[in-house]
Amino acid sequence: MSSTFTYHPTETEAEKASNSYLMSLIAIMVGFPLPIINLMATLFFYIANRKSTYFVRWHCTQALLSQLSLFVINSIGFWWTVSVLFKEDTQISNPYMAYVITVFVVNVVELGMTIAAAINTRKGHHVSWWFYGPLTQMMCKP
Amino acid sequence: MKKTILQAFILLSLAAGIYLLISRVNWMKLFRIEKMTDALEQKLGDMVWAGMEEQSIEEGKEYDRVDSLVTAICKSNGFKRDKIKLHIMGDSEVNAFALPDRHMVVHTGLINAVHNNDELSGVLAHEIAHMELSHVMKKLLKQMGYTLLISITTGEAGGGAIKELLGMLSSTAYDRKLEKDADIKAIEYLKKAGISPNGFADFLYRLGEKDGSLGSLSWISTHPDSKERAKYIREAGR
Repeated sequence: MSSTFTYHPTETEAEKASNSYLMSLIAIMVGFPLPIINLMATLFFYIANRKSTYFVRWHCTQALLSQLSLFVINSIGFWWTVSVLFKEDTQISNPYMAYVITVFVVNVVELGMTIAAAINTRKGHHVSWWFYGPLTQMMCKP
Repeated sequence: MKKTILQAFILLSLAAGIYLLISRVNWMKLFRIEKMTDALEQKLGDMVWAGMEEQSIEEGKEYDRVDSLVTAICKSNGFKRDKIKLHIMGDSEVNAFALPDRHMVVHTGLINAVHNNDELSGVLAHEIAHMELSHVMKKLLKQMGYTLLISITTGEAGGGAIKELLGMLSSTAYDRKLEKDADIKAIEYLKKAGISPNGFADFLYRLGEKDGSLGSLSWISTHPDSKERAKYIREAGR
């Protein structure tokens, strides 16, 4: 959801904040199905901008937190798939199929939210996601 | 803070709810995964067996002996005996193995190596367990993959692939866990049939000692740690 930030960000700030979301988008294309790539790309961008302005830091943190939870969900799916492929005692099962489909749904939703956030922050709007927004607010101080 | 924790809880519940809802659908049936695997197994079984058929002994004293033991195990455990395609092969190698589509191959070398019917029943129950627990297809799918197995059935992979598949099933072990699972199941089958698992343990122990009188020991080279297995089979048989 779009809300008002404590100050109006400059054009450069808006671009950098938007890039923090784009980082995870580019990484999805390169890293899928290796879930660590997305997290690492967002983490590196976060580290690079940890001394940046409040608006940029805030959005880098929100992007990182969302990638962190996605990393957990995707990692379970990844290692489950590895064991289905390489372990003789693990087979394709209904719970596995359901999990893979759930992971797909969650990733698609997250992708949509990330694209929307990247567009809106580029326009200088402040985007605060449900749960991730308040969490970022607690972690990121002006 | 409380609000954020509540939101986290709702988000997790939502994700779990989506998963539970999606798992209500029978995806295996929807994508016909089980049917495809069954059809693939049947075709593979027929193809592999076609290449071995000539060496098979389908009647006589040895066949009747093994047949009666397999029938006894099946009857006591509620398995349909006619689903198991029993084949005796004239081969001095001490070996027995399961092929896709419930083909069970027993070498005459194994029949001659056992001291009594209890020992033979143990090995047969172990192979039946591999079949009942779908270990044959699990192993093939893991080691060769769906694509290669399908290309074998369509003839695209060539005749060499069938030989490779047969070699894999007759001379390489299953995963250690699957072997133990088959042993534990075999003990269950034997007990239900009123056969002492000690015979099976004795046979494994003798194989573990690599008794020279047993000749070529294929079955043991594919089933490691025989003495350890003999130990837990004896314990479970008490």
